Amino acid sequence: MLSRLHWWTSSRLVAAPVRLFSQTPIAPAKPLPPRLKINDADISISYLKGTGPGGQKINKTNSAVQIIHKPSGLVVKCQATRSQSQNAKIARSLLADRVEAQEKGDKSRVAIKAAAAKKKKASKMKKTRRKYRELGEAGKEGEIVEEEEDEIEIIWDDDVKEEGESKESTPEVADVSKPSGESGKNKATSGVGNESESSG
Amino acid sequence: MRSRGYPLQYILGDQPFGDLEILCRRGVLIPRPETESYTYQAAKLVREIALDRKDASKPPNKARPLRVIDLCTGTGCIPLLLHASLAPHFQQLEITGVDISPTALSLAQENLEHNLQLGQLASSASTDIRFHRADVLGNGNDNSVPSIESILKTQFPNFGALDTLPPDQESGCDLLISNPPYISQTEFRNGTTARSVRRFEPKLALVPPYSCSGIEDCMPEDIFYHRILTLAFKLKAKLTVLECGDSSQANRVVALHKRLASAESGKSSAEVWPSREKDLAENGFHVTDGSRSVIIQTLQ
Repeated sequence: MLSRLHWWTSSRLVAAPVRLFSQTPIAPAKPLPPRLKINDADISISYLKGTGPGGQKINKTNSAVQIIHKPSGLVVKCQATRSQSQNAKIARSLLADRVEAQEKGDKSRVAIKAAAAKKKKASKMKKTRRKYRELGEAGKEGEIVEEEEDEIEIIWDDDVKEEGESKESTPEVADVSKPSGESGKNKATSGVGNESESSG
Repeated sequence: MRSRGYPLQYILGDQPFGDLEILCRRGVLIPRPETESYTYQAAKLVREIALDRKDASKPPNKARPLRVIDLCTGTGCIPLLLHASLAPHFQQLEITGVDISPTALSLAQENLEHNLQLGQLASSASTDIRFHRADVLGNGNDNSVPSIESILKTQFPNFGALDTLPPDQESGCDLLISNPPYISQTEFRNGTTARSVRRFEPKLALVPPYSCSGIEDCMPEDIFYHRILTLAFKLKAKLTVLECGDSSQANRVVALHKRLASAESGKSSAEVWPSREKDLAENGFHVTDGSRSVIIQTLQ
């Protein structure tokens, strides 16, 4: 009995597709290229501090650090913290990023990170737009705002497309049996799916 | 408050010193960036000396800890930074910080605990670093403050008998470092010393007390150097690092060391650091004036 119940539940689990809270696939983050190591011989560090006689006679510090990368001529200055050694550390990493960006262009760490952030933001914006459009429709307040779709969320679009196709394949009778409001909504979403398909 | 020259470090309550965060309070001198630079240099030299010793085919003595004494420690910034930079290289450390001011000593202890909490210091620092109250100039006549000798005797069991021992013995200290008061009475008044420093930082830490305690062969602002150099000979310090107000004072200290060294056996070299233009620029020292340090190495 117990085993049968177990079989039943397991079969049900298999039958029902696993639905995640988030509809975007959880893809493992791609490893970023390693940080560029800057050779100490290539740089000259200057500390912009001690504008007058120093030591105990004066208490004035300007802990800014400026690094010049000799091969490329890049200059980086950092004044983020009050600590000279920390500023030097920050300036070094900034310089490494700059040099890498200059050398590799789109394949550099900074560019990859920026691209990922841009993608994420675009996808978020798209979700926001969709949400408010649906809200607007439900309340019958305004028309569908025309929007340019971007091809970031492929999975989401596929879902919608499948829904739309199943809708189309079902006979007309089923459509009639459903409340008119819902069917209308479904049509609208299928329209979105098609639209995205054409744009993508 | 700032407009009246009240130091930012006293308002914020701390000052970065290397990777450490040093708490600052009225009555204790604020750590200076120059001090940070030569402390790193001293740590570097100590490591180099230790490496040389190992190369000299002598078995490294595990039982003997590296001994460091910092006189006029103030916030305790030098002992703490030295511990932070030496702890990864030496198994055993013994760092002693000495100051006359009880306010400074309690703040130094607080700084030790503060940086332990921040994780900037190894946990061994709490046992390796000790702060003691002592008068560096005093000769023990005044009973209120113990003299430096009495403190050192407890730290170095055969402190008095060192003269009879060969130089490369178990005892003795590896590094004697100090940032003593070095501003002369006239420089304190004539505008050389910044108003903010003059008004808000402790005079005790800036200007040596005017006393003629039998030391006639040096300027009144140099009395601490005379005293510390004498102590360095007694302790057989392998490395002595002293901060000076400017290059002329540094040269005076070098000359003073030469005079004192002539009476002692054993060779040593004294130099002003940084003296080359490149070192000056890289370590944030002013090219023409500003503080310097004197580094004295005992040659074997």
